[in-house]
Amino acid sequence: MTCEELRDSYELYSLGLLDGEEKREIEEHLGRDCPRCRKHFKDALGVNAVMLSQAHAVVPPSRLRRRVIASVGNERAVWGWLAALVAASMLIVAMWLGLEKRTSDRELTEARQALQQTAAERARLEQAFGFLNQPETRQVNFGPGQPAQPRGNFFLNPRMGVLLIASNLPALPAGRAYEMWVIPKGGAPRPAGLFQSGPQGTALHILPGTVDPNVTVAVTVEPESGSPSPTSAVLFAGGF
Amino acid sequence: MLAGFIPVSLGLALLQVALRFKDDADLARRLQARDAGAMRDLYDRYGRLVYSLILRMVRNSGAAEDLVQETFLRVWNRMQAFDQERGALGPWVLAVARNRAIDYLRSTDGRMAAGALDLDRLEHPAQFCDFEDRALSLDRARRLKDAFEKLTPNQKTVVELAYYEGLSQTEMAERMQQPLGTVKTWVRSALKVLREQLTEAAAV
Repeated sequence: MTCEELRDSYELYSLGLLDGEEKREIEEHLGRDCPRCRKHFKDALGVNAVMLSQAHAVVPPSRLRRRVIASVGNERAVWGWLAALVAASMLIVAMWLGLEKRTSDRELTEARQALQQTAAERARLEQAFGFLNQPETRQVNFGPGQPAQPRGNFFLNPRMGVLLIASNLPALPAGRAYEMWVIPKGGAPRPAGLFQSGPQGTALHILPGTVDPNVTVAVTVEPESGSPSPTSAVLFAGGF
Repeated sequence: MLAGFIPVSLGLALLQVALRFKDDADLARRLQARDAGAMRDLYDRYGRLVYSLILRMVRNSGAAEDLVQETFLRVWNRMQAFDQERGALGPWVLAVARNRAIDYLRSTDGRMAAGALDLDRLEHPAQFCDFEDRALSLDRARRLKDAFEKLTPNQKTVVELAYYEGLSQTEMAERMQQPLGTVKTWVRSALKVLREQLTEAAAV
C-alpha cells in the first residue's frame, strides 16, 4: 500500500487498535523511516491528544493530589507530615495517660507498640520511596488483561532489590501467606520473602539487596512458614 | 459524550495547559532531575485533564484515582527516555492515561490484552517528539469539537468506542451489530474529518 492509502489508518494504529495487513504495512513504512508516514503518525498522535483532552472536565478530589505527590516521595512534605502525626499521637497518648489515672500497663504497652509500628511503617515506606527515586529502577506492571484480579507493579533496582506494590489481593485463609519468588533465567525460583495483604487487599513488600537485572518475579500462596520452592500456581508475575 | 460547547471547566483546564506549554521543557528537566516539587507541578498542570479522561473511561471514581496515580508514577519512572527539548509532555501524559484506563477496562470485562505490548510501545516517550507548539491549545480543542459535532451519530459512536473504550473495528462491529466494512467506513471517514480540521488549523 502507498503512504496515502495508509493515511486514514494512523489514528487507529497509534491507539493500538489496528491489526492485520494494515498494521504490518504501517510498521514497514515507519521501519524504513518514511518521512511522509512519520509525519502522518505524528499528526495522528496530535489528533489523539486533542480528542483525549475533550472529556468533560471534572475536578479531582484534593486527596488525589497529595497521594500522587506522595507516591514519588516528596520526602520533606511526607516525613514532615508523618513526624507531626507521630508527635501528635504521642501527645494525645501522654495527655490521656495524665488524665486517666487508671491507665493499665497493658494499654501503655499497646500504645508503645502502635508507635513502634508507625516507626517501622515509616521506615518501610522510606525504603520504598528510595527505590522509586532511583533512575535505574525499572517497573513491570501486572494485572491488566489477566483474568485474576490482583493489580500492581514490580520495581527492580539491581543495587537495591525488588519492590512489590499490589492491590486487589484476595484475603487468605488462616495459616497461609503470600510468598514472592525471584526466578533467574534458566534457573530455579528463589524465595524472596513472605507477606500478608492489608485489610483493603493491598500489600507493599521489599526484597532488599542486590539482584540480577534479568529475572522474573512471581507471587504464589504458601504456608505461612514459607516454602523452599513454590507449591501452588503463580498468582501473578512480571519479567524484567 | 462530548458536550455541545466547550465547558468553562474544560476551557480553564486547557488554558492552564496552554499558558504553561512553554514551561514544559523546564518541567521535563526538573522531572528528570528528580526535583522534589516537579511532580507537584506536573500534577497541577495535567491532573485535571488526566482525571477527567480516566473517569470518563472507567466511570468509577475509586478506580479512576488508582489509575491517575499509576499514570503519574509511570510518567515519573519513564521520564529519563523523554526528550526534554523536543518532547510534547501533554500528549504523552494523556496517551499514558488512556492506556492505563484501557488496560483496566480490558481486565474487568475479560477482553484479551492482545494489544498490551502495542500500547506499551506506542506510548514510549520517544514517540512524542517534534509536535507543533501548543498541541493542546484551546483553539485546537474548539476546532475538533466543532468537527465532532458535524459527524453523524454512527460516526460519533465509533470514534468514542475507539478513543474511550479501546474497541477494535471488529469489536465495534460486534457491539453495534453492523457489517465490519460499514464500521470501517464510518471510522475512517470520521477520523478524516477530525484530522483535516486540525491540520487546516495548523496550516492557517
